[in-house]
Amino acid sequence: MTVLDLQNVSIDFPTSKGVVHAVKNFTLQIPKGRRVGFIGESGSGKTTTALSAMRMLASPGFVSTGKIFLGEDRTDVLGLSAEEMRQARLSRIAYIPQGAMNSLNPVMRIENQIWDGIVAHEGKTDPAELKRRSEEVLAGVGLEPHVGRLYPHELSGGMKQRVCIAIGVCLAPDIIIADEPTSALDVITQRHVMQTLREVQDRIGAGLILIGHDMGLMAQSVDDLAVMKLGELVEFGSVRQIIERPEHPYTKELISSVPLVGGESFLDPADQPAPSKIEAGAPPLLEFKQVSKVYGAVTALHPMSFTLEGDTPKIISIVGQSGSGKSTMGSIMLGFNPPTSGQVLFEGRDINRLSAAEALQFRKDVQAVFQDPYACFNPFYRVDHALKFPYKQFGYSKSDAETQKAMEEACTAVGLDPSAVLRRYPHQLSGGQRQRLIVARALMLSPKLLIADEPVSMVDASLRATILKNIYDLKEKFGISILYITHDLATAYHVSDYVMVLYHGHIVEAGPPKEVIGDPQHPYTQLLIDSIPWPDVDRDWGSASDARADLDRLQAISDRPETVFRGQVPGFALATG
Amino acid sequence: MTKIPTSYLMNRAFTLVLTVFIAATLIWIIPRLSPVDPAEIMLSRMAAGGGAVANSDQILAQLQENFGLNDPLIVQYFKYLLNVVTLDFGLSTANFPTPVSELIGQALPWTLGLMILSLIITFIIGNLLGALMVWEHTPKLWKVAIPAAMVFTSIPPILSALLLMWIFSANLGWFPLTGSYGLLVEPGWSWDFIVSVLHHGFLPALSIVVVTFGFWALGMRGLMITVQGEDYTTLAKAKGLKNRYILYRYMIRNAILPQITAFALKIGLLIAGQVLVERIFAYNGMGKLLYDAILNQDFPVIQGVSYVIILMTALSVFVVDLIYPLIDPRIRHEGS
Amino acid sequence: MTDQQSQAHAGEAQTAQADMSGVTEKQMRRMRRFDNPWRNPKLMWGVGILLGIVAMGILGRIFWDPDLVFVGSAMPRQAPYGFENLRGQEGLLAHPLGTDGSGRDMLAAIIIGAPNSLFVGLLASLVGMSVGIVLGFTAGFVRGRTDDVIRVLSDVMITIPPLLILVVFQAAYGDVTLTMMALLIACFVWQSPTRLIRAQVLSMRESGYVQMARLSGASTSHIMFREMLPNLVPYLFGSFIANVTTSIVTAVGLEVLGLGPQRIPTLGRTIYEAINAGALIQNLWWWWGLPTLLLAVMFIGLLLINLGLDEVSNPRLRKL
Repeated sequence: MTVLDLQNVSIDFPTSKGVVHAVKNFTLQIPKGRRVGFIGESGSGKTTTALSAMRMLASPGFVSTGKIFLGEDRTDVLGLSAEEMRQARLSRIAYIPQGAMNSLNPVMRIENQIWDGIVAHEGKTDPAELKRRSEEVLAGVGLEPHVGRLYPHELSGGMKQRVCIAIGVCLAPDIIIADEPTSALDVITQRHVMQTLREVQDRIGAGLILIGHDMGLMAQSVDDLAVMKLGELVEFGSVRQIIERPEHPYTKELISSVPLVGGESFLDPADQPAPSKIEAGAPPLLEFKQVSKVYGAVTALHPMSFTLEGDTPKIISIVGQSGSGKSTMGSIMLGFNPPTSGQVLFEGRDINRLSAAEALQFRKDVQAVFQDPYACFNPFYRVDHALKFPYKQFGYSKSDAETQKAMEEACTAVGLDPSAVLRRYPHQLSGGQRQRLIVARALMLSPKLLIADEPVSMVDASLRATILKNIYDLKEKFGISILYITHDLATAYHVSDYVMVLYHGHIVEAGPPKEVIGDPQHPYTQLLIDSIPWPDVDRDWGSASDARADLDRLQAISDRPETVFRGQVPGFALATG
Repeated sequence: MTKIPTSYLMNRAFTLVLTVFIAATLIWIIPRLSPVDPAEIMLSRMAAGGGAVANSDQILAQLQENFGLNDPLIVQYFKYLLNVVTLDFGLSTANFPTPVSELIGQALPWTLGLMILSLIITFIIGNLLGALMVWEHTPKLWKVAIPAAMVFTSIPPILSALLLMWIFSANLGWFPLTGSYGLLVEPGWSWDFIVSVLHHGFLPALSIVVVTFGFWALGMRGLMITVQGEDYTTLAKAKGLKNRYILYRYMIRNAILPQITAFALKIGLLIAGQVLVERIFAYNGMGKLLYDAILNQDFPVIQGVSYVIILMTALSVFVVDLIYPLIDPRIRHEGS
Repeated sequence: MTDQQSQAHAGEAQTAQADMSGVTEKQMRRMRRFDNPWRNPKLMWGVGILLGIVAMGILGRIFWDPDLVFVGSAMPRQAPYGFENLRGQEGLLAHPLGTDGSGRDMLAAIIIGAPNSLFVGLLASLVGMSVGIVLGFTAGFVRGRTDDVIRVLSDVMITIPPLLILVVFQAAYGDVTLTMMALLIACFVWQSPTRLIRAQVLSMRESGYVQMARLSGASTSHIMFREMLPNLVPYLFGSFIANVTTSIVTAVGLEVLGLGPQRIPTLGRTIYEAINAGALIQNLWWWWGLPTLLLAVMFIGLLLINLGLDEVSNPRLRKL
């Protein structure tokens, strides 16, 4: 009962630098009704392998050796004519793409995008019948019939992805390929979409290939797991077997790189934490006084007040989903974005009313690490420009040789080989290398306060722990206070001294991480924790209707701003009310 | 349901009015900045060129009225704006005392006809060829031929007009050299007249089409490459849709949107190019009228023609802006 | 266009049969050349053509007598060397490209005229570009009311065809110099660079590296000129070349209407005189044909540069 049989498949990409063997000798069978996860980092060939079964490899890639058989009648995919292959797509093998935001034709109504797939395979069909079928598949993914009349830009990300699922299953294919279907969604929506996909797939009895990089998501969603590295299948087995008894070192690394709430810490705190650079008795390092931010009709941030003393270095985490206002907070602290009301004080001075000299001092004292390591380097310059320029600008540089030495030391401190990275152009480095360079930059400039805005969300999973360790060391070894902005509760649990959970511009729960994340009290925090996929096969992630109910519950609390205080830490005070 | 947001409409209407207003003002100010009295220069040039000038007193009076030497500047300006709104540009000095608006009225249909025909044909052909340059299922021969043809499309229409005229009219004699219809044909809705119009209009239209499609094709090529990489194109393919259907309903349908915006921005230059082609073929449109006016120093006509062509441009832009929300649902949403 | 083969090859590779062993050394070299986008053949050909025209202007003035461009320097209406005119007279080596209706030597007319056209285009575009850079950066940085004014003004002005305003101008003022004409045209070619730079600045403002520079205490001028401008270069070049084309087209258009400089030989004015004298009907093809051809070559050169620059700023085009 195999619905997809890949035998010794190799895929080559001819390039100007020679042939790239993207996939090597890949063999795998997918039985009917079975869910198989393909896990690996970007560039591991997982998407390429799956696309080869649809004969949709990006030019100039091609299957150089091997056989692909589809369905119970063992159709030879590589031997089909172009027209036969077209017929097989969607009706026998369906694809749910990664970019939920852009996967639908922006100028076509949703129902037309379901109908054209049906018509392309079944010929001209009665409009009433089409209407009935599109409403049926939309209902199958929990969408109202009127959604069919809408255009994609009128839907939320989660709705769009569910529409893509509806399209994928509308002809009841033998196998569905889902390519990171939830990568652009927040965890709560992710759970809903994922459970919808599982339920629909169960109903039509198709095989499922789930492509992803998140071990937790795999554990909650699939039966079998195929681990890929550099185009090779390094390990295959049931998901329980792989998570509980991984054999290949790479698999072990993948599993261990996922930080767990309450799990073992991946950090090594220093025996003797570095002292703060701030003298006792100085004005507080950072103070928010009734700060709020309004964009037009939308309130991104409701008035909030807190004080960070800074006399002992602390990591304060601000946790929230996209749209919670956490990045707005970051840019307000950096002075990039003046608040609508209230004051932001740094060492007692309003950062939006600084003289030129004070502004330069403020820049020296407050630095940042941003989310996207690809955008942080000017493509025109070699990467050392980003380190050298501020060092000189702030007057730290005594001579070129000394600057060079400082750069090299900073690189070494974050685990980079200076000679291998400093004279490169940004596009020649990986995302992980770039982000570590940005951390090295922060280290070199040695500010009093560092704003780290989602510093690891765009870095491959295996590197996340290392980079967080680097950032943690900034506090431990160099005495820098850090505001860590993230959507990831598990890392916040480990690195921070104090956690604030942000929802729709309100702080809903705040306190030490052991309390807030380890034992959440506010329904939103509870829901967030419940929605995180753990690499734990026995955990019940709930059904799609559970997720739906949770989302409704969330809707109900969205207007009630009340903060649950879970305790204090010295040096940080969140104002009540 | 498909209602265009009012704010969008207001915005576009404002742009239309502002464009026409600025153009009218420029046309009014420029001669007045001239250090010498343009009316006298013109008259003296006319006299020098053609000996005695009939009605010269009246013409001088009319020019002086036109340049408003009798009123304070601000009064002149508002009088002028009022006239311009009612399309009254005074009397032609070369064909005295024919009103300028009458001359323009005779020339305008020819220019409009040629414009609508050539601009639309060019837009369709250009975009289609541009799309075919990118589409993966285009026959090989086309993929070689289209880019090769693209090289010649950098040439402005005025040069292609000369070349085509020389080959097909002067040497081969297939098409008439000048005019927009035969001298022996009576204008009217007769078969002979229509054939004659088409016969005369073919080369001017061709010389525009042949060289301007490349602009659209190149723009379309860039947009198609972007659209080809979009996730919805990938999903369309994964849905097993037919290649042609994907090309028209997914790729071109999306790539055409910025092209339509570009069309609105480019209309002015295209019409200016067409005016020159009309001049080469002595086509009875605005181009010839303008050229004759320049030759005869007929300033009111020059002013009138310039203004009307800019008005035409601005109106075309406005029409394109009105059509745009109908084909892009996202604009309809923005206002609400 | 020269890359058709390798592209066709890549197209085949999509399905199962293709094999890399079929790729020749020549094709590999061609593929490797894509690695440096500035060295693409289109760009080099285009630059070569324009430099050729400039060289012709310089060398021509040295090796040929530029005074032959004046009326009555030779017998009118002589055919180029190796051709006959309507009266059956053989062309002479003394005037290898023939003469026009008033006895100007065509070779001299081209030597003087072609660089003039290029000069007008370059000067107008340069001035327009500078205005565009200033306004674009101002709009992108100052924002608010200033931005609104600049945005609306450039949106409005971009739809007004320059030719028609210039016709009014020249009709009122009479003769202009070459430089004056270039400056007048420049008044109408600042809009597209302004729009382009404004849009780019607005998107770059939010980019990571500009934020990094701000964190580094960089001044506004450092951000504009050291961080943003270098990345704008391919776009600026592209916009510049497109404006050179527009400016030359406008200048030639004016000249063909009998406006523009009256005493300086330009290619457009030569065409104007040829048409007026009925050169098309009398088959004096060299009179209007040579300037037309030269202008055509100039425009092809400009197009090639623009296509080449497109490849620099949009790597995805390089596959084609």
